[in-house]
Amino acid sequence: MTVTLSASVPTARTRRRSPVNRSRVAAWIAVVVIGLFGLAPIYWLVVTALTPDDRAFSFPPSLIPTEITFEHFTRLAENRQLFQYLANSVIVSVITAILSVIVSAYMAYAFSKFRYRGRKSLMHLVLASQLFPQALLLVTLYALFSATGLLGSYTALILSFTTFTLPLCVWMLKGIFDTVPSTLMEAAAIDGASRWRTLHTIALPLAAPGLIAAGLFAFVRAWNDFVFALTLADPARQTLPPGLVHTYLGEFQTAWPDLMAASFVVSLPVIAAFMFLQRYLVGGLTAGAVKG
Amino acid sequence: MRKLTNGQFAWLLMAPGVALFLAIIAYPLVAALVTGFFEQSLVRPGRTFVGLANFADLLGGDFWPVLRNTLVFTLGATVIPFLLGYVLALALNSGLPGFLRGLFLFPWVIPGVVVSFLWLWIFNANYGVLNGLLGTEISWLGQPGTAMAAVIVTKTWASFPWMMVMLLAGLQTMPRELHEAAAVDGAGAIRRFRSVTVPHMKGIAGIVFLLEFIWNFQHFDTIYVLTGGGPAGATKTFAVAVYDTAFKGFDLGHATALGGLWMVLLLMLMVLYLRKEAS
Repeated sequence: MTVTLSASVPTARTRRRSPVNRSRVAAWIAVVVIGLFGLAPIYWLVVTALTPDDRAFSFPPSLIPTEITFEHFTRLAENRQLFQYLANSVIVSVITAILSVIVSAYMAYAFSKFRYRGRKSLMHLVLASQLFPQALLLVTLYALFSATGLLGSYTALILSFTTFTLPLCVWMLKGIFDTVPSTLMEAAAIDGASRWRTLHTIALPLAAPGLIAAGLFAFVRAWNDFVFALTLADPARQTLPPGLVHTYLGEFQTAWPDLMAASFVVSLPVIAAFMFLQRYLVGGLTAGAVKG
Repeated sequence: MRKLTNGQFAWLLMAPGVALFLAIIAYPLVAALVTGFFEQSLVRPGRTFVGLANFADLLGGDFWPVLRNTLVFTLGATVIPFLLGYVLALALNSGLPGFLRGLFLFPWVIPGVVVSFLWLWIFNANYGVLNGLLGTEISWLGQPGTAMAAVIVTKTWASFPWMMVMLLAGLQTMPRELHEAAAVDGAGAIRRFRSVTVPHMKGIAGIVFLLEFIWNFQHFDTIYVLTGGGPAGATKTFAVAVYDTAFKGFDLGHATALGGLWMVLLLMLMVLYLRKEAS
């Protein structure tokens, strides 16, 4: 693409060559320096998880592992308590994701395909609700769940997670439905399909990849939650994030290699989810722009 | 059966979402703001109306150090990742291999508690790799000055990839011809950045910065796991203070009053954000 340009303006090309190379060098320097900051801690997590205890607790630490062990991972596998946390995390995150996608799909469809009174202010409210302070919400959610007898239950966790997954999914899915051409729906209406039928047989199937993406985002957010699970779940229903804090950080001497091994395992599902989500990343993260 | 209007049909579709929204977001939030005017305990039933007493208590003391800590943390944990993310986005946009973008996402993708565990270990006073590299024996999380810096570094690490992704997406929508035309006119790299890139990126950069600022303004996880708000309250931000007052001090009145003041500040930021999103 620069060929046509440089052919018509040969002098510009010769003038530009050295600055272009210099900026290429600058770009690599930036990537290497920031990359070191970004990836060295991850390297350290993995190395620590593979280091035998006696070596991990020596100072100064050796940056390159001299001896590798998988004992921390096998120890994790033998810990029944951690399996309970894992099961809780899976149950709660999956149900949160499914519930959020179903409820928000209808809401997002209404936002996207109909024009009615109250639509715009409600959209703003949903967008703003993502920014409400969780710690404050938590205080009254705790009282609410306590009064209704839900405190400590899976239901309390799922409902509290929905406070952040619902707005996220609504915004993502509105963006998805916006890309489904309205002409398809009009054609269905002309063919005599009801609005209800059009929604289920045309719009939802077309939006299926978006529904899956929104569900995965909700799953990840639920999986990662710390403060709600810490406070609203009783010990038997605690998820992995607070569970790991209780298991490892309360002790006199934290078993760092075990904790790093556990951290590695907890991160895996999230990393896998994001590999699928790469192309939805930008849209899902801004949660859509207010338009229309 | 009478046919519903489009508006009625839309509200029917939204009904479950709206009901959920009212029950678990709107009601608790309003209830929280109301509780600020009462003296109420987390563990004992009943409450007494005390008017503005809770607010007066807070504004006469605790509110100010918490506001200061929150602002220091929020500014640090927003400005630094923004700059890192911007530099990285510019670098990656200059034709470096695409897999690098994915590689840089790791710190942002892994769960928040894992981030906290990892940096707790790095900052560990006895066996930590940071002290090992520097040849020091500093208790990074045990002293007020370094604790705040450590918390900011940790949050920066977790946030800059998101900034990079968003800013890179912005850069990629910039027409290449603009840069080429400016180059033909003899503008150098810095001049082109200032007169082509910056104006193009103004919208997205503003939104990304503001969103991150709002998120940090109410950030909880990293601070709570790393320092618990200590030492001596040096990293106690609004989120940690509200949490501790409610769930360790059992004092719902002061917790929600502080939350109310916090919410007012957040609302101002939110209005700014919604205006920006709309434009």
